Order: sequence, then structure tokens, then C-alpha cells
Amino acid sequence: MNYRLNSTGAIAKRKIFETFISPGFYIALSIGLLLGYFVIGGFVDSIDSSGLNYSLNSIYELIARSLSGAFGETFVIKLFAEGPYLFALFVSFIPFLFYLAISSVFKFGFEKKVGALELITYGPADGTSYFLASFVKDMVFTLIYLMVLLVFFFVSALINNLVLGPMFFYTTVMMIFLSFAFYGYGVVSSVLTDTASSAIALFLGIALFFLIIQMGSFTIVSGYVRNLSTVLAWIIKWISPVFYLDLGMSSIGYGNVPMYLLSMLLLLVLTGGLLLISHLILKVRGVRV
Amino acid sequence: MIVTKDLTKQYGNFIAVDKVNLNIQPGEIYGFLGPNGAGKTSTIMMLLGIISPTSGEIELFGERYTPSRLDLRKRIGVVPEKHPVGMWAWMTAVEYLKFFADMFVVENAEDRIMNLLSQVNLADVANKKISEFSRGMLQKLSIVRALLHDPDILFLDEPISGLDPIGIKQVRDLIISENREGRTIFVSSHLLSEMEKICHRVAIIFRGKLMAEDRMDKLLLKLSRDREIHIDLEEIPEGIVENIRKLDFVIDVSTEKNRLKIKVPKEGDYRKNLSEFLIKRNLIPIQLKERSISLEEAFVTITQDNVEMLAGVGGEA
Amino acid sequence: MKNMKKTTRKLSVTLILAILIFLFALAPVFSDVPVRKEQLIYSILAFVGKEYTGTFCRQDADTFYLMADVDNFITIRKTLVYFWPITQDWKVDTEALNIPFEGTLIIEGKDIGKKEIKQVKYTYYNAPGEYEVNWKVFTGKDADKEWQKYSKIVDAYWKAVEKYYAEKSKYEAELTRLTREITKARDEGKDTKRLLAKLKTLKQPKEPTDKAPKYYVKPVEKAFVLNLPVGEYSVKFINKDGKVMEGSEKKIVVFGKRRSNGIGYDVIPGDKWTRPVQSATPSSVLYIDGTTDLYLRPYYQDEFNDLYYNKMVKNDAKGNPNIMKWVRIQQVPKARVELIKKESSSEVILEKPYYVQQTQGSSLGYKIVPFDPKKYEGRQPSLRAFKVPISRNLRSLKFRLQDKNGKYLSGSDREIRIIVKSNLQIILLILALFPIGLMFIVLAIRGRKYSSG
Repeated sequence: MNYRLNSTGAIAKRKIFETFISPGFYIALSIGLLLGYFVIGGFVDSIDSSGLNYSLNSIYELIARSLSGAFGETFVIKLFAEGPYLFALFVSFIPFLFYLAISSVFKFGFEKKVGALELITYGPADGTSYFLASFVKDMVFTLIYLMVLLVFFFVSALINNLVLGPMFFYTTVMMIFLSFAFYGYGVVSSVLTDTASSAIALFLGIALFFLIIQMGSFTIVSGYVRNLSTVLAWIIKWISPVFYLDLGMSSIGYGNVPMYLLSMLLLLVLTGGLLLISHLILKVRGVRV
Repeated sequence: MIVTKDLTKQYGNFIAVDKVNLNIQPGEIYGFLGPNGAGKTSTIMMLLGIISPTSGEIELFGERYTPSRLDLRKRIGVVPEKHPVGMWAWMTAVEYLKFFADMFVVENAEDRIMNLLSQVNLADVANKKISEFSRGMLQKLSIVRALLHDPDILFLDEPISGLDPIGIKQVRDLIISENREGRTIFVSSHLLSEMEKICHRVAIIFRGKLMAEDRMDKLLLKLSRDREIHIDLEEIPEGIVENIRKLDFVIDVSTEKNRLKIKVPKEGDYRKNLSEFLIKRNLIPIQLKERSISLEEAFVTITQDNVEMLAGVGGEA
Repeated sequence: MKNMKKTTRKLSVTLILAILIFLFALAPVFSDVPVRKEQLIYSILAFVGKEYTGTFCRQDADTFYLMADVDNFITIRKTLVYFWPITQDWKVDTEALNIPFEGTLIIEGKDIGKKEIKQVKYTYYNAPGEYEVNWKVFTGKDADKEWQKYSKIVDAYWKAVEKYYAEKSKYEAELTRLTREITKARDEGKDTKRLLAKLKTLKQPKEPTDKAPKYYVKPVEKAFVLNLPVGEYSVKFINKDGKVMEGSEKKIVVFGKRRSNGIGYDVIPGDKWTRPVQSATPSSVLYIDGTTDLYLRPYYQDEFNDLYYNKMVKNDAKGNPNIMKWVRIQQVPKARVELIKKESSSEVILEKPYYVQQTQGSSLGYKIVPFDPKKYEGRQPSLRAFKVPISRNLRSLKFRLQDKNGKYLSGSDREIRIIVKSNLQIILLILALFPIGLMFIVLAIRGRKYSSG
């Protein structure tokens, strides 16, 4: 019998149940869907005889102007080329991803601090079983949330005669793998630190760093700026989950399916690497604070 | 059941556990004593596989034990000193135990949970949130959790700390009854009087070194630096103290009301010599007894007074 | 009298205040008077995929951008450069100062090594035929020859035109004179036969048969012709004295297109024919409210890096370095649009001329109607396009483009969807709030479980 696997299953089961009975999950779910609702509703309101006319909806106008000002008009055109769903996916999914990741990082830190993690490892489990269970829980809820989101979007598409385009579906699949890598960083943050607050701070620091770097590379500029050294930029690129999202999405935009699949595979490799690093760190640091 | 060979744990330059050799026999209640910072926790953590030793070996159930041996860990039950505060506050007692039963793959888990809860009088609160449990209830719940998977050895860390007298008795009885059923029990506690009541053998650790490991009675004997013979007289005549002091086997004499307190070497029986000495002087001893040292006193002696001597008697360090 | 003085004083104060406010309002305008600075610039005539566009790389800019494998023309000159706040743009004042330099351009790059480029004479023109874009570039003696050839044609044309107008003027004068004489003779009762016979023999001069050339050939000038493969290069200018001219060292980013011959559409709504929208992304969906027909104008498009392309067109422009954009190149000639209403049924529509007609009566506006040459004699069609009839009942419609041979053009698929603004939107709100309701149910169930314990 593989005791680690069995323990992972048992811990994951408990964590899943815990999430199901926690109000936070339902509130995060509702917030995500409400954000999607406003994005879709705003889009529908902004349509006139010639197509998408942002000025018809003040919130949409603000969003479009902000996005256009930051990332350029071409970015906005591509974002809404299939309808509102690509944007709605980002707006609805990313907060939920952060909710799941941060709550797991918090739980890890808290349970480590109070000794719950140690208590679990008195049995046929170790720190790796614990973080794998945490990871499994996040995976399960990511899939659940995406399914709920898909149903919600599908209903909205039926009501408003909108369409969930291929780019949306490709991106949705990418989002699963993207979230795995983020959860991997959550695990690394948890095993590297002793308290929940420092783990959250580290995770947010890492996540925001990658987001800012990637968004920065998408920001319109008047010249091609390379502030970071080439080596550092190269390293950051390959350890950033958002880079692979960009790679996958641009591959699909170009019709390059093998590159799209490769970018997902690379995200899995990155996630695996992060979990392996966490395992090794835990081996050295142990589960005691 | 558990044998350690030169078990050592070092944190930087600080040696927390220094070549400790323990030998815990199957079926015994083994006490593990040591003041704070003595290396007790580090030793226990290594025995539980929570931390890796810097050097040395642990043999568990006849097999070499490392933290990755989750199969061996499955045969251990652990009751920590405290139930983690705020942990899984949403869970009921049954849910809590069910989770551990899942982890240990306990068959007929629900029946076993209810049986054990009944044994510690917690069956009535089986569906109550554990966050509402008192300290004593949580301690009992911890013991139930540790026994769920019928472990071969049970580790108890300060098992009666913070319990009321009834709770202490319940836990003590449970430990003894579990031991009678053949379970090996490893107890670490600072309540030395309790250890004296339940332990077959005791180990004492101080500054990372094992100072003593022996049977309870032998250890007490070893640990008593000198023996003290108490003789009660009707009254203590003048000069008798000085005369007794002159006896070649007497180390020291003091009085307390009508009682003579005579310190003699720990080897040999001097009661007869003293009795004859007093009778020759027409003094009739009302009561003559040799006072034995309690473990609590012994512990104080060891840790505070004479470590060098103990190192000699402990034999292991 | 006193009242009048008071009123005058009040008026004066008001006037002074008004002048002060006016001056304050004007203050930003005066403060933003551009400062002209003498700078060494690279004047760039870049081929941007469909035409030649002029831009310049001022002294502070370190890089300019060119398209790969096409001829671009570069000159180095000293001129006045200033920032024009109204358009937020850098501009040059070549009328005040324009000193071109002669010398050599040194270009270094990975693939080409170090290359010396001399200034050459050049010219170019676009002679559209079936396709809009048909650029020809000539350098050296060929440029002179081409220019002379073009000049001859233009000169001959203008001579013919001049001759025609001289003859026409003579004819009109003779016509006027004869008409007057005939009228006068008739009034005086004289015989007009001779004059009428003369009038009959008077011949109207014929318009010149040689038409003006439909293209424009740029007068021959001297420049460095840069035709480079994709890559990054460094460039500097060596003057006649053999020295590197200060401020001439720059970087050139030469880029290519990622994809070409994509299909884009100008989509013209029937009620806003002056505001067409572009559908550039392949397989994208065009959402409309279904209130008016659409008119499509398909075009070929190429895909470029957003930042590079923008900066090639205007060196001070901004752009997104990580996004590719489609750029309209030319109209698809003789194409046909295939409308697919259901998977099984499709209809091919052809490009037709349309006329924008002002609405008669009190209601303002216009409507697009088929162009009838008889009805609108002497007028030109307002637009040529493919009409896609739209109605609110139509939920969706797909279309794609076929070339003149009926072959489907890849990347031309689009979908039109008529949006439904429904009251059912409330269902979505309920769905979005449903998890909160579920939360209360779960909490209630948990609460009951605890209380049973």
C-alpha cells in the first residue's frame, strides 16, 4: 500500500469537505459569477448596429479606455474578438484562483503553526502528503469552479445569443494548468516560511511579480525597453506561469496547436518542479515551526 | 521494540541530543524524563520520524527507521501534550476521528470510534464540535485518536498535564489497562509522581545526554546518594548525637523533635548496628525505618546537583 | 449723472475682469509655444506594406524601424525639430532649415557583417492594376530613365491638353462671333446663309486621346537605399571628411510580417455609412443589434508586431511589443461573399455599387440604395460593397470569401450574431447569487448536525 497516497487522499477529502462547508467558497463563487455577469451585461449593452460601441456603457467605456491606454487598441480588439467571454473568464477566474491559493497558503501556515500538520505527520503521512492534498483540493475546486463558470456563461450565451468561441475554450483549458502552477508557488511559499502571514506575503509577492512583469511586457511603450538583464529576464520567463499562458494563447492565435499543447506541458513541468522543490525543502525544514 | 544507537541531533554548533542509546522493551511502560531544553523533545521527534537524526540509528519493530518509513509510523500512536488550538474547529468528534481512521485505514471505523469514545465517556458528545470541548475532553479525544488504529506502541507526551484529578485517574487507568493488553507505552512527563506510579522503566536525559535508564526500583536506589535511617525515641538524651557521629559508618546525624536522622553509605545494612548501639545505652527505638528517595527527589538531585556522579551510575551516557 | 458714472465704472471693472480671464485662458496656449531645436535627423521613407510613408528619427530617439526585404530610403539632414502639443507629436520645420548631408552609411549586423552604403538616385511609383499595390522602385540610371519616361508622358499629355484648351478657346470665340453675326444679320434683314454654312463647318476640337498617367512617379532624389533581412543593426553616418557624424549612431530594427494574405473586412452599417468598423481577427464574431443591413468590403491584410509597425509608420508612436496586429493592405479583387444561414444552405453575393441618398422630408438622415446609372446620371456610386441583409429575427449568420475563381480564402470566416437584449438577464443575476443561497443551506445543515450532537 502506498501510505503517502492514501494519506494524501484522506487529507484531501477532509480539505474538500472543509471547503464545501466554508462560507468563503460560496462567497468567492458568487463574486466570480457576479463579475462575469457584469462583464457580459455590459457587453450586451454596448452593442449597436455597427458592433461593439464602448461609449454606450459607462463601465465598459472605462474598462476599454483603461485597457486600451495600458495595452493598446490591438489588445482590446483581440480580447473582444469573440465576444465578452475571454475577458469575463479572466475577470471571473483570477480572483477565484487567488482565493483558493491564498486560503490554502493560509491554512498551511496556520495548521503548521498550531501543530495540526505535525499531528497529521505522526501517522502514515508526511508534509508532502499534506501539501499534495492541499494541491489536490485546489485542483478539484478549480475544476468545479470552471464547470460552474462554463454553465453560467453557456446560459448567458443562450439568453443573449452570444457565442463561446474557440479562443475562450482554449484559454479555459490553459487556465487549469496556469492555476496548477500558481498553486505550486503557493506550496513553495508555505514550506519556505513559518507563519501564515509571511507565506501569504511571499505568495502574493511572487504572483504579483509575475503578473506585473507579464503585464509590463504587454504595456504599450514608445520603444522596446529591456530593463532587466538578459539572463534574469530569461530565467523569469521560464519560471513564470503567466509566460506560458501568453505562449499558449499566442500560439492558438497563430493556429499553432502543437505549441499550445507544449505550453500546457511546460506548465505541468513547472508545477511538478515546484512540488518537488517543496518536497525537498520540507525534508530539510520539517513540519515543525 | 525501539532501540537507538548513538542517536544524535545537532542544530548548528548546538548538540541537542548526544549519542543517546535507548532500549524500549515490548510490553513495558517506559518513562522519559528531562527538564526543558534537555533534548527530550528532539529525541521524541526523532523517534516519531518528524525530524531526522544528525547521526545514529533508530530501530523500530526490529527494522531500521527513517522519516520516510510511513509503514512503520502507521504502527505508532501519538498523544501530544496539547490538542492543537483552533485546529479544525468546525469538525465534530466523530468527523475528527473518522479523518484519522481514513488516514490509518481503520476497518469498521465507526464502530471502533464509538467503542473508544464510550471507554472515555465521550460517546454523548460524539457529534459536538471539538472547538467546544474542554481541555480534558480534548485530551481524551487525543487518546482515542491515538488508539484508533490499534498501534503497537503508544507515545504519550505529558498525558495528564492540565487534567483534573478525575481526569488524571481516568487517563492513568486507561494507560495501565492498555499496557495490560500488551501495548508498549512510552510516556514523557514532568509530573514525576505520576511516572513513578505507572512506569516500569525510566530514562533521564539532561543536556542532550542520557543520564540514566533503568528499572524504577533500581534507578531509585542508584539515584539515592546516601541512605537515611530515621529512628524515633521517647526522648533524645544529651551527647547521643555526638556518640552516633563517632560510629565509623555514620556520615552525618541530625535531629527533628524525637527523631534521629542518620545518614549512612548506600551500600550495606546498618540498621542492626544502630539498634544494638542504642540498646546498649538503654534507649529503646520506638520506630526504626530506612527512608527511600522518591523519583521526584531523584530527578532534582540528578539535574541540579551531581551530574558527574549520575553519569557514572547512569552507565549509558 | 452719478448713476451713469457708477454704471460706467461697473462696466469697466467687468471688462477688465473679462480680459484677465481671457488672458488666463490663453496662458497655456502661449506657454506651449513649441521650441524649435536644430537636430540631426534620419529622414525615412519606409515601405509600410501598402505604400511609402515618411517619418523621421530625431536626435533623442535611438532606434528606427523598417520592414524586411523591401527598399526603404534614408537621408540624413539637419533641420529644426519641435514638439507640437496640440497633436502631441514631434514635427520638423524643413522650410526654415534643411541641410542634407552627403556621405556614407555604415551598417553592421549579425547576418550582413559591416556594410558600406552609398547614396544613390532613386524613384518609385505604384501602378495599380487588378491589385491596388504594385510598387516599382528604380535606382541609379534606371531611376533617371524611368523619370524621363514618365516626364515625357506627362509633358506630352500636358501639351495635348494645352493644345486642346487653346483650340477649344478658339472654337468657342469663333462660335460666339458667328452667333452674334448671324443674330445681327437676321435683325437687320440680311442674308444669313453664308454665315450659317460657316457655322455648320465649325468643328469642335477633340479631347486629347492620351489619358493622364494613373500613377505618380516620385521625382528622382538621392538617398541610401536600405533593403535588409530581419534583424537588429547598428548604423552610423560618415561625412565627406571621413568622420562619424555626431548623433548619427542609431539602431535599426528590421522586422517581417508574421502572416500575410489574411482577410479582413470593412463592415459598414446601413445607418452609419461614414463610420465603418474593421473586422480583422480571423474567425471573430461580429455582434450587432440587427437594426440595419451591413455592407462588407473585404481586403487582404498582413500581420505585424504592433510596436514595430507603429514605430515604422511614425518613429515616435507607441505600441505593444508583444502583440501582433493585422494591417489592411489592399482590397480583394473580384471576390465573392458566401453567406451561410444554415449549415446546409448558402448564398453567394456579388459586389455592387450603392448610392447614399439623403432622406426626403422632415426626418433627417440617409439611406443606402442600389446605384442606378440612369437615375443618378453623371454621379458616381458612393460605395461598392457586398450587401448582407440583416433582420432582428436572424439569430446568426456566417460568411466567408471566395476569390474570383470561387476558391475559399483561408481566414475569411466570420460570424454575425444579432444580440438579444432580454429580460431574462435576471436569471443570470439569480444564478450568480445562487451560491450564497446554497451557503445558507449548507450552514443550516451543519448547524443542525452540531445541535444534534
